[in-house]
Amino acid sequence: MTMAGRTASRTGVAGAHPPPAARRDLGWIGIPLVAVAGLAAFWLLPDDLALLTRIAASALFVLSLDLVLGYGGIATLGQAAMYGTGAYAAGIAAVNWISDPFALLAVGGLAGGLIALVTGALILHAHGLTLLMLTIAVGQIVQEIANKARDWTGGSDGLSGIDPAPVLGLFRFDLYGRTAFLFALAVLVVALMVARRIVRSPFGLACRGVKEDPLRVSALGGSPKSYLVALYAVAGVFAGVAGALTAVTSGIVGLDSAGFPWSAEALVMLVLGGTGRLYGAVIGTAVFMGIHHILASSDPFHWMGFIGLFLIGIVLFLPGGIASGAGRLSALLSALARPGRDGGRA
Amino acid sequence: MSGAALLEVEGLSRNFGGLQVASDISLTLRAGDRCALIGPNGAGKTTFVNLVTGVIPPSAGTIRLAGRDVTGLPAAERVRLGLIRSFQVARLFRSMTVREHLELAVLQRDRRTFRLFASVARVAGLAGEVAELLDAMGLGAVASTAVGSLPYGQQRLLEIALAVAMKPKVLILDEPAAGVPHAESQRILDAIDRLPTDLAVLMIEHDMDLVFRFASSIVVLAQGRLLCSGTAAEIAADPQVREVYLGSRADAR
Repeated sequence: MTMAGRTASRTGVAGAHPPPAARRDLGWIGIPLVAVAGLAAFWLLPDDLALLTRIAASALFVLSLDLVLGYGGIATLGQAAMYGTGAYAAGIAAVNWISDPFALLAVGGLAGGLIALVTGALILHAHGLTLLMLTIAVGQIVQEIANKARDWTGGSDGLSGIDPAPVLGLFRFDLYGRTAFLFALAVLVVALMVARRIVRSPFGLACRGVKEDPLRVSALGGSPKSYLVALYAVAGVFAGVAGALTAVTSGIVGLDSAGFPWSAEALVMLVLGGTGRLYGAVIGTAVFMGIHHILASSDPFHWMGFIGLFLIGIVLFLPGGIASGAGRLSALLSALARPGRDGGRA
Repeated sequence: MSGAALLEVEGLSRNFGGLQVASDISLTLRAGDRCALIGPNGAGKTTFVNLVTGVIPPSAGTIRLAGRDVTGLPAAERVRLGLIRSFQVARLFRSMTVREHLELAVLQRDRRTFRLFASVARVAGLAGEVAELLDAMGLGAVASTAVGSLPYGQQRLLEIALAVAMKPKVLILDEPAAGVPHAESQRILDAIDRLPTDLAVLMIEHDMDLVFRFASSIVVLAQGRLLCSGTAAEIAADPQVREVYLGSRADAR
């Protein structure tokens, strides 16, 4: 997969492995894997569907962050601004006007994309810490607007009363959350396919160029800022859809959906899973929220400490995130297999 | 030698405070010209390149590209008009493969980089053109190698390939063989020899062997001013040049 080729080339041993491009073509396998893993979880954990639905929607949110950070190199702690905007836009539309779940996702995506386009055009001339501060500020502003516009958003009480129509007019959102989870999983899988398409497009190539060396892109005649603003807007659409998906499947939207902690948590999940690989977002979210769920119920006082230790371990021993582990493992196995027996390859 | 004037620089000056780093430089490059810009360290060669390409604005003077005044245009706009430079230190995207570099350059040139849902692999005509560029530069064998793990000489070749991929009118090569072992610099010179004959090339170079093999005309810069210019033979025989440039270089060695 992608990860193997990248890791190899970073450490300068690319010659010992098949060329990265040949491996990258296998990256599509991850998408059916996510679908199968999701369906397996659906059968194996029928009592945890609410959690699994949250994981799927959150993974979509973290995926949007990966587009921005992993493919554009934009450091942000304000991605929740787009998520919250999408969630509130879909929630308000659901309460007042429309109930079709797909239309609600479209509303959320549009809202998230628009806010990202506008704020991105305003702040993306900045870099590093300045940009980080500006993204936090945008998040705080969005959250404060949601807090003040009580008539529309319910303020600190949250927005409730979202009652979406059956999916495709056929599948009602049931009490057990079966429809909700399968809907969320389907949206995540489609989003992964679209994201993969985008990162492999000419646009995705140009964004990777900007991430590595914006000045070199200028020297090729490109405008780094317009790529970044466009990428920020595209990722805003993903985040907005993720917010709308949460609103549709959970039925409520709270102020924390646009809050700084949610942006920061998304960053933690992405780093845990691995940046710049798309699947890292899904893996990181599932691992983080899964551990959170298990530890928080068994040891409600210290679970955050365990998460912290786990994160330190990952950063120290798998700097590329969990998703890089597969590539490292196969490199290790082939290195072990080379001297002596050659039948022992995994 | 009598091609259309592609790059016309007139009275180009730049001072940083009281320091005059370029003063009243004029230069014309015509289609087919192979011109070398030489001068001792600190003569203002790189400053001149930065002025011409628009990285820093001039204090005075005009720059015309194929007859059009580009003095006020930003660097990226000049690139789109066909004024391309290569960098003295290879500036490449380390994690991207050789092929991806050329794809990006060609897509950028054709302004097809805002296609979000097309696959790079299926853009019409792209694979063929990239394959031609790879062949022309002898980079076919390393097409799928990440540039970060490529030997420096091949990085320089890629740097030139990128410039060629942009289909320039005027190409400025800033020390294309800097840092490359002498044995390999021949490959770079070969690549330069194969450049399309209708473009104007300005090469900034220290290595006098390369300069005399490449250039039909030579411009000598010293302390930010144009010392003299002429054919390679004239410059080699010029006593002033010998003293200011070749002489000081010999001392340094």
